Amino acid sequence: MASLFKWGRKEETPAVKAVSVSASDAVSPSKVLPRVLAALKHIPSPVLLDLGPVIGSNVSFFGDELACKIKVEDLFAEVEAHTRQGTRAQLPQALPARLRHAPESIDGILCWDLFDYLDKPSAQALAVHLVSLLKPGGVLYGFFGASAVDLTHYTRFIVENPSTFRLRLAPATPTKRYVLVVRDLNRLFEGLLTSESVLLKSSVRETLFRKRA
Amino acid sequence: MWKRDEAVRTPQPSTPAVTPMPQEPAAPRPEPTRLQEKENTVNIGKSVIIKGDLSGSEDLTIEGQVEGKIELRQNILTIGPNGKIKAQVFAKAVVVQGEVQGNITATERVDIRDAGSVDGDLSAPRIAIADGAHFRGSIDMQRQGGAPGDVKSTGKVGDAKTVDVKVPDVKVSTPSPAPAPAIR
Repeated sequence: MASLFKWGRKEETPAVKAVSVSASDAVSPSKVLPRVLAALKHIPSPVLLDLGPVIGSNVSFFGDELACKIKVEDLFAEVEAHTRQGTRAQLPQALPARLRHAPESIDGILCWDLFDYLDKPSAQALAVHLVSLLKPGGVLYGFFGASAVDLTHYTRFIVENPSTFRLRLAPATPTKRYVLVVRDLNRLFEGLLTSESVLLKSSVRETLFRKRA
Repeated sequence: MWKRDEAVRTPQPSTPAVTPMPQEPAAPRPEPTRLQEKENTVNIGKSVIIKGDLSGSEDLTIEGQVEGKIELRQNILTIGPNGKIKAQVFAKAVVVQGEVQGNITATERVDIRDAGSVDGDLSAPRIAIADGAHFRGSIDMQRQGGAPGDVKSTGKVGDAKTVDVKVPDVKVSTPSPAPAPAIR
């Protein structure tokens, strides 16, 4: 009998491992993502611009929820490449140049926490460009850290459901986080209205901006 | 009555070796189908470079290089780990394990595996992108306006998640009176 139980345990180990792997990702609640979805749901075939690396499950999620067209432009990779090469001074030109989309052609922009990794000139240049890409009534969704710490990793936001993210870490060349308080954000995204802003327990501000219709 | 039945059946057992036999050949049936599938899949080897349009009515696996246009409207295109494509691709289903530069349009699905890389636009009802895959471009998943009963099984699309028809579409469409007699 004992051997039978042992045999049963051996069978279970792969499943346990699988659980522990997925459990390594932190889980974070989202208060604002449902608002993002609500803002885009009434638009037929909205166009989303994802500034993070492609995540298959997110593509499935947004495709399923919104029947949208998703444009993926991984600006984190661009930031990382310039940081490694020591050419971050070129970011204010490089980032907007990467986004060759027609003005007012995007319904929603998923910034994630990209702006935490950008210095002021880069953030300003990118923000102006993003605002120009948004259609009237379009939304911009992002996370903005509220504590000045050294960032040694990127965070992949994996949408589990409209109110929960799984956060997966990926290594990054260490950079300082550039803290943007609410006043800075309002200046940065001039032309957008803060539709929703929630300070999470992780000292990260989850924010939804909306362009005037 | 019963005896008659037995009497009818008894002549059949007279060839007992024959009756199980048809079942045994049923098992090896997959072998010929696998062979046929292999035969129906065309391979373009590592050393092959094609410049121009490529079209056909067979499943195709590309391990070499293709520049131009690929059309397999009714078939599956697999770009192997060594495959490098600079082309517009039209197929029923596309599996990417290598590199693609160009737009991919599939009537059923696009599946980018973990080592796959795509620079271009994807258009398909179902798109699966595995963790670790590289992708840059736009993704267009046309929502099929099929009836609720048109739910397609999504299994076998690799490790990555796929876009399914929404669960609410799976409704018990048969009226409740129908199963009631069956219970009796």
